Amino acid sequence: GSENNRGSVRGSSELVAYKSVNDLPPPREMKIQIDQKHEAILLPIYGNMVPFHVSTIKTVSSQADPSRNCYIRILFNVPGTPFNPHDANTLKNQGAIYLKEVSFRSKDPRHISEIVQQIKTLRKNVNARESERAERAT
Amino acid sequence: MADGHLFNNISLGGRGGTNPGQLRVHSGGIVWKKQGGGKSVDVDKSDIVSLTWMKVPRSNQLGVRVKDGLNYKFTGFRDQDVASLTTFFQNTCGITPEEKQLSVSGKNFGEVDLNGNMLTFSVGGKQAFEVSLADVAQTHLQAKNDVLLEFHVDDTTGANEKDSLMEISFHIPNSNTQFVGDENHP
Repeated sequence: GSENNRGSVRGSSELVAYKSVNDLPPPREMKIQIDQKHEAILLPIYGNMVPFHVSTIKTVSSQADPSRNCYIRILFNVPGTPFNPHDANTLKNQGAIYLKEVSFRSKDPRHISEIVQQIKTLRKNVNARESERAERAT
Repeated sequence: MADGHLFNNISLGGRGGTNPGQLRVHSGGIVWKKQGGGKSVDVDKSDIVSLTWMKVPRSNQLGVRVKDGLNYKFTGFRDQDVASLTTFFQNTCGITPEEKQLSVSGKNFGEVDLNGNMLTFSVGGKQAFEVSLADVAQTHLQAKNDVLLEFHVDDTTGANEKDSLMEISFHIPNSNTQFVGDENHP
């Protein structure tokens, strides 16, 4: 998916996943989780669930290898690429370092394909809402 | 033992996830034993460089940085444990734990900080995540502005965990001046 990158980048500074630590879902097993309500994806990194707002995500893909391992790759929006020109937002964050990509291995292909599907749907919904909001504002 | 505090249900966080266990803080240091035996961590108080507290969902996390650069993270402390342990560490080790905050905004841009073996990614001064460079198998410079960290495939720990981190990459725009001229970092 590559639709409407501009919109999602613009959104990334405004959209906040959680306001407080207590809003995060209680930790369960260390698997990638989606929090629909907070439009967040939670990634297990070093024993902590690390949230990312879905608007920071550019693409998500998965693949499997012959030994039934499944890989999920998540690409985040970064500035300076053809579809993500520097805008007011990235200029404001000048000097910042961006998390660009993470990949995880899983033993559960069904879980991974569910996650990929959920992220895509959530992204679509959030993007649709945000561009609608932008249109109404003009 | 009379001196010290014992905590059940304290998990040690690491590359593969978390392992539940038991933590004992005593006048000589910190001992953590994995539930059901196996791995244990024994930190002598003279090896502790710094201590941190961080609020995590439903719990508190104690970070113990030791001399060789490792940073152990123990999760499962209640709010009242934080207060009593802080006093205990001040009295026995002369170290006041520093308070750190967890970033929960969900943003993917921030600062990278290298300290000992740990790479910390923080957003707006709050920590988003930390990884241990000791687990990094390879680093690549991709294109001009991207750094990729490849992690060791770890099949030993966290057998109960299903999703494990394989790779992580950072985009460092030209406007960043922190790592200019140093291709090995972060």
